[in-house]
Amino acid sequence: MGSSDTVQGRDGLCFFGKVSATISHDVKNVLAIINEEGGLLQDLSLMAGQGMELDPERLVKLAEKIQNQVKRGDTIIKNMNKFAHSVDVAECEVDFYEMTSLMIALFTRMASAKCVTVILKEGERVTGKCDPFSAEMLIARCLEVSMDSAGKNHEISVEVFTKNSERVISVHGLRLEVAENDLDAIKALSNNAGASVSVAPQESLLEIIF
Amino acid sequence: MKILLVDDELELVSALAERLSFRGFEADWVISGAEAMDKILEKDYVLAILDVKMPRMSGLELRKRLEHLRPGLKYIFLSGHGSEDDYRVGAAKADSYLVKPVKIEDLVEQINMALGN
Repeated sequence: MGSSDTVQGRDGLCFFGKVSATISHDVKNVLAIINEEGGLLQDLSLMAGQGMELDPERLVKLAEKIQNQVKRGDTIIKNMNKFAHSVDVAECEVDFYEMTSLMIALFTRMASAKCVTVILKEGERVTGKCDPFSAEMLIARCLEVSMDSAGKNHEISVEVFTKNSERVISVHGLRLEVAENDLDAIKALSNNAGASVSVAPQESLLEIIF
Repeated sequence: MKILLVDDELELVSALAERLSFRGFEADWVISGAEAMDKILEKDYVLAILDVKMPRMSGLELRKRLEHLRPGLKYIFLSGHGSEDDYRVGAAKADSYLVKPVKIEDLVEQINMALGN
């Protein structure tokens, strides 16, 4: 493995770690909520056993809340599984809409921390061949850079479509100039993913083209 | 003994507050740092239980701000991460630091210790 491969490998590992840490935090939150809702059920049951009046509707609502958290946890873990399998093959047919949707879901916490709203416009399947993990790294970095450019309390909207047989992921809502080192990082990632990226903050636009 | 709980997960913080109230604590809750800064001025809170990682304003940043508004307030940090870094910073800046999911008995014990009960 040459030095550039080593750096690339390290970057990939860092990205994998970053996403895993976010997922673990989200799962912890789900477990913490289930823990408290379950504990509340236990408290109420014990109090009812001691003669306190207990509204059955209260129990139904608590049970529904627990079920909703289980669904939330299940979605997080399904996303984690999809992401984990993206390293399985170096190249395969992917749906760029689904991939973008996955990256947005995995970076919800980051968007929330940066106080940026990310909207994925409704779209259809946009398929093509690529290295899934490299493409995900590129999309994630572009989303992060776009969020930083949009700034606190702003919104970015993402669209995935086909134009002249090219697969395009466009991000609208950039406001500030993108730092030189971020542009360099995006360029390196796009080369690795076999894509090209154009950034035009003056047009509020970033486009990834596969 | 009034306690203020702050966590961006509404279902968690509301359930936790109710469970603490069953154990004799007067616990209020809010879901953001901004709300906490308003709420802290409403009552004589003696302890704040803060989530470390919150959007817009982290628990650590909130603690700094609350110190000015309510000097002498005690703090317990809750974190979902449990990383070494988190622990070092959290443990240094609070009377106690617990990793989610929290056992209510452990939290009650830490509250009593923080309040010198």
